[in-house]
Formats: sequence, structure tokens, C-alpha cells
Amino acid sequence: MTRLNTNQWLAVVLLAFSVLYLGFAWQVPAFPLPRPVDSDLFPKVLGFILAFLSVLLFFEKPAIQEASDEPEDATQQGPFWLSPWGRVVITSLAIAAYALLLVPLGFVLASTLLSVGLTLYYGYRRHSINLAASLSVVLGLYLLMTKVMDVYLPTGVLPF
Amino acid sequence: MEAFNNLMYGFGIALEPINIAYVFAGVFAGTIIGMLPGLGPISALALMIPITFSMEPSSGLILMAGVYYGAIFGGSTSSILLNAPGVAGTVATSFDGYPMAKKGLAGKALAIAAYSSFVGGTVSVIFLMLVAPLLSKVAVSFGPPEYFALMVLGLTAVVSLSDKSLVKGLIAAVIGVMISIVGIDLQTGTERFTFGSAHLLDGIDFLVVALGIFALAEVFYMLLRGGGGKEAPRNAIGSLKLSRPEMREIAGPVGRSSVLGFFTGVLPGAGATIGSFLGYSMEKRIAKDGDTFGQGNIKGVAAPEAANNAACTGSFVPLLTLGVPGSGTTAVLLGALLVMGINPGPMMIEQRPDVFWGVVASMYIGNIFLLVLNLPLIPLIAKILDLPRPLLLSMILIFCMIGVYGLSFSVFDLLLLLGFGLIGLGMRLFGFPAAPLILALILGDLMEESMRRALQISGGDWGIFLEKPISLALLAVALFSLSAPVIKKRLKREVIDT
Amino acid sequence: MPSLSIKRLSVLALPFAAFSAIAGQVQAQEWTPDGSVEFIAPANPGGGWDTLVRTMSRVIQQEELADENYAAINVPGGGGAVAWAQIARDEGNPQKLFATSPPMILVPLAGASRYDHTDFTPVARLITDYSIVLVDADSDYQTLEDLLNAMEEDPGLSVGGGSAPGSMDHISIAGLASAAGLDAAAVNYIPFSGGGDAMTNLMGGHIEAVITGAGESVGQLGEGSQLRALGVSSEERLGGELAEIPTYKEQGVDYTFDIWRGVMGTPDMPEEAVSYYENLFAEMLETDGWQEARDQLGWLDAYQDSEAFGAFLDDQQALFSNVLSELGLLGE
Repeated sequence: MTRLNTNQWLAVVLLAFSVLYLGFAWQVPAFPLPRPVDSDLFPKVLGFILAFLSVLLFFEKPAIQEASDEPEDATQQGPFWLSPWGRVVITSLAIAAYALLLVPLGFVLASTLLSVGLTLYYGYRRHSINLAASLSVVLGLYLLMTKVMDVYLPTGVLPF
Repeated sequence: MEAFNNLMYGFGIALEPINIAYVFAGVFAGTIIGMLPGLGPISALALMIPITFSMEPSSGLILMAGVYYGAIFGGSTSSILLNAPGVAGTVATSFDGYPMAKKGLAGKALAIAAYSSFVGGTVSVIFLMLVAPLLSKVAVSFGPPEYFALMVLGLTAVVSLSDKSLVKGLIAAVIGVMISIVGIDLQTGTERFTFGSAHLLDGIDFLVVALGIFALAEVFYMLLRGGGGKEAPRNAIGSLKLSRPEMREIAGPVGRSSVLGFFTGVLPGAGATIGSFLGYSMEKRIAKDGDTFGQGNIKGVAAPEAANNAACTGSFVPLLTLGVPGSGTTAVLLGALLVMGINPGPMMIEQRPDVFWGVVASMYIGNIFLLVLNLPLIPLIAKILDLPRPLLLSMILIFCMIGVYGLSFSVFDLLLLLGFGLIGLGMRLFGFPAAPLILALILGDLMEESMRRALQISGGDWGIFLEKPISLALLAVALFSLSAPVIKKRLKREVIDT
Repeated sequence: MPSLSIKRLSVLALPFAAFSAIAGQVQAQEWTPDGSVEFIAPANPGGGWDTLVRTMSRVIQQEELADENYAAINVPGGGGAVAWAQIARDEGNPQKLFATSPPMILVPLAGASRYDHTDFTPVARLITDYSIVLVDADSDYQTLEDLLNAMEEDPGLSVGGGSAPGSMDHISIAGLASAAGLDAAAVNYIPFSGGGDAMTNLMGGHIEAVITGAGESVGQLGEGSQLRALGVSSEERLGGELAEIPTYKEQGVDYTFDIWRGVMGTPDMPEEAVSYYENLFAEMLETDGWQEARDQLGWLDAYQDSEAFGAFLDDQQALFSNVLSELGLLGE
């Protein structure tokens, strides 16, 4: 057995997904009143099309990847959290944390923390500019949304 | 001549100092709202209803219309600079606008967007003025079978939008349709793929997907590529000036897309987003250098920008002549008009000429304001690209998240945004094009809905799609546009063979 | 999500609460809100709930009926279910209100919300709208009877409405058909994305009839209209531009249908708060500002206090579940 190429293992993943999707499509309940086309038809057709396309993908020759698309050279140096993939993972975690802390902390505090924190983490060392820029953008948006547009944003622990 | 007299009458109203002030305030506010992702014209207008309540109806509508087309005008800015579409109608602008900005041509891209928007807006006001009453017939002639055919035609663009691998483009499109049908099925009230979550009942908002797959994925991609400054040339804005050949090059696309966009806007339910996609894919097919679309082709900025502004104006046709809102935004406008004591409908042009012609005239003025306002602002706004890379990245993130939260006030949507950002990153790394997914996301559920509605009316008879002339014609065009490249290739081969 | 900010408010308010408890013993039992009141529209900006909430908070402010701010907050999702789930967690909070209408009954009946109207405190019913049956102006159907007869002969006759099957417009037409002796489940109801969408399709001749809100259709009727109204679901004829349209009852079908809108509060809202809001809203209905807005929006006053509104809601639930079970659409 030869090693699967990129397209082939992508095809396997997509095929698995389409099978899963079809499984859910079959659970869409039928509507009690007669309908020429019920809610389940489209999902079923989509599932089959995706399965068929993933078979086609399996046999498609992968395009030659541009060398620059592979960030391999950078992965060797430094701890994981400073590597390219580490940056993606940490940024994702920061976004998730932001989502969960937005309401308890309030909009202004959470957004400023995220902005200042990420900028720092990405390697910007001029702290005063960082803080000033983040605060002004966040406060500007906050005032625009709450005062001008009358949209409610969570205030959290700060009094505004 | 009559149109001219009416227009003069309209200008008489629109040029009153107070109304000039309203036009300016409207387009200015609209531009800002449009630039900020997530702060769309819908919520802005809904929030303005109390303000316009006590106004003269013509002034109120002049102000609100200004916000609406101003937002579509301004939406291109963040699409081009940050790959973060400010409003749904400007997603297609980012396909070529953002690559241009990356090449250091941000200024030129923004200038093209401004000129094209201006032309699109102005051409469509002329149409609105001359043929609005006649067009109300066109708007109602589109029933469910016709919409189905239109959506099918729109979806054939997937072929031209998937540049490297057709299979990957189609896979992206199928996934786009899959996303579009999440939520309550309007035809039956059945929940599909909600997994019991109330947050998914209304489906997944288009802008959450677009911001995730474009803006957030772009941030992730930059992080992955080291985040260094190697891609950002200094003085990244470039010149605003267009050369004569460039002007000539975009003239055709802008003209065609203005007309196409206007008629798309006239159809209730189609609107600026679909208009801009149709304009983009039409030009990509027509252009000799169509394969460079997506890499920063100026026509790829001009076409969707002309189309979305034209469609925005076009959407006033069903609103004002039928009293029927064609989109969420015009639905809010209709509500506002009712509050002001105006009943839009077939009789409105005769009963309240001041409102109709006043607004039409104000649109000419508003478009000029937008151009004059935006051109000098371009170098200023484009300075955002000069920010140090780390600061710029976290600003884009903040903008996306505030935008998404402002749409639905839902923490759940923020997590969805993250999910789509990661999916978008994966798609980029593995060479799946994002445009077909977005296109299918917009058209997919409309296609399903209109197909099933048509069959419900016909009692399950599929012939309904072929019996209606408009639907038949659209389906034929769709078939032709799919088969044309194949036939062309075969013809070429035969020529070579003989 | 706003529950936390309320918690914060109540921490700040503690000393005041102690003070007012003492003051309360001296004065009469007059309750007033402490700080701004959260007034939730369980939908996006622009819809019926949102319009009600924003109109009310504007009138209350303009007419200076209360010192406190009524802050309009949009909590969209699930046809209201997202907001209801959130409000249900905020038991006893006297400063959280929300706009409500028939989906408050219908969505839970369809099994799409864990909470129904009995989980919340009715405050007041305020206004109502009615259903209206429309056909094309060139159509052969001159009266409601013509249309109902045609529906009996041809069950495939398409009737468009502005909402999903099992929701307001569908219930309204199915109930009408049932009252006229037809099979409710046989009505070929075609759901569109809104009343306006349905009316456009009617003008284009794509469907035969439309059922929608009378208020929504006002702009389409009158001189030179492309549509003809066959009947309204009210008890008596409506006023203004709709005065010439006969009711169902006049045409021999004993059936009425209300599209009511009102205000409800958190579960177990304190009685003194409920009666404060009852009085406030009753007072609001009398103001010029309200009456002007009401007329322009095509609403009709239909005030009921908390108790009457509660009983009304129970009746509505019984009525709707009858129609839904006749249709076979009752959720489990």
C-alpha cells in the first residue's frame, strides 16, 4: 500500500463527513401534511453529491503545492507557543476565551484585554501605543454602538 | 420630458437646505456604518425610525435612503483593506480588492470601488426615474419557478469561480448549500441540523460565515506564515490615479454590471449581494483575462461594486411602486414609511410625488456627496495598512468579533465565527476556493425554498419550471453557460485536428 | 446575558433597597422601578416585536410617563425561543419585560421552545391586528364564499401566507376553513418569507389568494389597487381605509382571529411591579403620542390587564392547539 496523497486523505475525510451527514439527513422528520418535496430531500441529495465528489477528488492528481505554503522551516525554532501553528492555536483559544468572558467582564474590558494581549503576543513592544490604539478603537466602537446607535452591549464589571 | 419636469420638481425638494443636510448626514453615517463589519444598514435604519418619526416624510426617506446606499458604498473599504466585508453586499469586492491591497494597490482598488459605485448608483437612479412604474410589472412577474431558475443560473457561476480544481470548487459549493439549510425549514417548520440548539433555529448568519472564512482565516494564514513584515511593502497604499487604459478597461464591466445589478435589485429577495456576485461572475466569464480574477484584477473590483450599488437603488422599485420590501433593509424602510404616514404602493407616485421624486433627486446628490466624501478619505483610511503588523492583526480580530456580536448579541455566534475561521484556514491550505462556498451559501436556501414552493403550488408537477417562459429562458441560459466552455474547447480541438 | 448586569445593578442598589424598605413603611405601597427597565424584543430590529418595543419606550419617554429609561434590547433567535430561555432564568426580576404575540403560544405548541406562556407573568395586552384574505383584483372570487367554494372543489388552490406552516397565518386560514366546514388539513398553504412577499406573488398571479395581517396590507388596498380584500377576521368592521371590507361573520362564517400584541414579564414578577406596569401602559394608551403612532402603524388598542390577559392567553392556547391537532401539527 502506498501512502495516500493529500487529495486522497482529504477525500476520505470528506467521504466520512458525507456519510455522517446522510445519517443526520435520514433523521429529518417527515412533515405530517403532504408535501411534494419534504424537508429531507435536499439534505439527502447534498449528502450523495458530496460523497460522489469526494470519490472524484480521490482520483484527482493533487496540484503541486507552492513551497511557500508550507511553513515548515519556522516550526523547528522556539517553544510551541511561538511557532506558527502555536500562534494559530493560541489565537483561537484567545477568541474562545473572549467569547466566554465577554458578558461577565463586559464589552470594554474584554475587548481591550484581547486587543492589547494579542498585540503583545504577536511581538509588538511599544506598550503605550498598543494600549492607546486598543483603548481608542474599543471605546470608539463602544460609544458609537451604545450612544449613537442605541445598541445594548454588556457592561460587565465596569460601570459602563 | 415628463420625467425631466418631475425630476426638476424632485430637485426642488432635494435641494432645500435642510434636505441637503439630511442627504449628507445620511450618506456620511452610512459610509461609517458600512465600513464597520457587522453594523449593517438594517439595524442602523431600525434604530433611526424614532428619529425620522417627526420629520417631513420626504426628508425622512431621503435621510434613510442615504444611510442605505451610503452603507453599501462604504462596505467596500473594509472588504478591500482587511478582507473583512463590511456589509453582505460587498463580499464579492474582496475577491480582487484584497489581493490588490496586498500588492500595494490599496489606493487604486479603493478609488476604483468609489468610481464604480458612483457610476452604478447614478446609472441606476436614471433607470429608477425613467422606468420605475413599468418595472413593477417585472418585479411581480417573478414567482417561485422563476426564482428557482434564477438561482440555478447564479449557481452555474461556481464553475467559473473554482479556479484550480473544479472538484474542489464543487465540494466547497455543496458545503455552502449545506450551511445555508441549517435551521428551521420555512416550508414545513421542521428543524434541520440544529442539534437541538435554539441558536441555530434561525440558521447561520451569512456575515458570520463570510467574516470567518475571509477575514479570520486571513489572519490565521498570516500568523502561520510567520506574521513578519515581508508581505507588507512600505507605502502600501499606492497611487489613487487610474491610467487611461485602466479607465477604458473598467468602463465595460462597470456599465454592464450597473444594468445587471439594477435589475437584480428590482427583483424582491435578490438584492445587492446576489447582484454583486452575478456581476462578478459575468465579468469573469466575459473577460479575456478571466483567469486572473481573484488575483487582483481591477475589473473584479469594478464589476461587483457597480452592481451592488445599482442593486441597492433597484430595490427601491418594488418598495416604492408596489409597497413590497425586497430585502430586510427595505422591509425596515417600509416600516419607517408607514410610521411617517406614507403608504407605498401603486398610487404613491401620484399621491406623494414629493416623496418619490424628492428621494430620486436626492440620490443623484447623495452619490456625488459619496464620491466627493470618499475620494479624499482614501489615503487617510488606507493608512490603516501602515499600522505595525501585530497591531493590525489584533484590530482585524476585534472588528470581526464586534461585528458578529453586534449582529446577534450572541456568544454562540462568536464561537461559530472561530469555527468558520479555522475551516477557512483549512480550505486555504488545501486549495479549496472560498468564493463558491459563499455563493452557494447565499443562493442555496433560496433555490431550495423557491423550488419547493413552486412544486407545492403545482401540486408536485415538475413541468412548472419549463412551462413558464421566464423560467425556461433562464434555465436555458444556465445550461448554455455550463456547456459553452466545453463546446468551445471541442471546436478548438477540431480546428487543430483538421 | 443581561442578567449579570442586573445583578450588578442590584448590588449597587442594596443600600437604596434598605432605605426604600423603611420609606415604604411610611408611605403607601407604591413601587417604582429602580434604574432603567430592560425591555426585550425577542427578535431582530425591524420586526413586529421590535416596533412595539421601540414605539412604547419612545412614547413613555416623550410623554414623560416614567422617570426611568425603557431600554430596548434585541435578543433574536429561534422565533423567540432564545430570548424566552434567557428571561425564564431571571425569576422575580421586576425590571425585565418583553413583547409578546401569538408565537408565544404557537412556538411552544410546535415543540420548539421549552418555555410557554405559563412560565412568564402576563402584564398587559395592548393592541391587536386582524387577518385579512386577499385575492387579485381581476380574480373571479368576489366574496369569501366564492373563495371557500373554490377551495372545496379544488384542494390544490394555493393560498399564500407570510409564515411557516403551523404558525400564525396558517392557523388563521386553517381555522377559517375548518369553521366553514372544510378540511383544515387540505388547505394548500404556501409559506412565503413575509406578508409582502406573499402579496407580490399574488399580484404576479403565481398564487390564488393570500392570508396576511390587515395592518400589513393597508398600503396595498384602496383606489387603483391590484388586490381585492374578501374578508377580515375581526368581530366588527375595522375603521379607516379598511371600513369597506366585510368580516367573516357578516359572510356567514362564525370565526374570528386576533393577532394580538402585549407585554409579559419574568417568571413570578412581584405583584406590585405588575400593577405598576399595568397602570403605566394603560396611561400610555391614552396619550396623543401613542395614538398618533398607533394609527400610523395600523394598530388597534385592545388593552387587557394582567389577569384578563392571562385568561385570554389560556383561551388562545386551547384554540390554537385545537387547530394544530386538526392539522396534525401538534408537537409532542
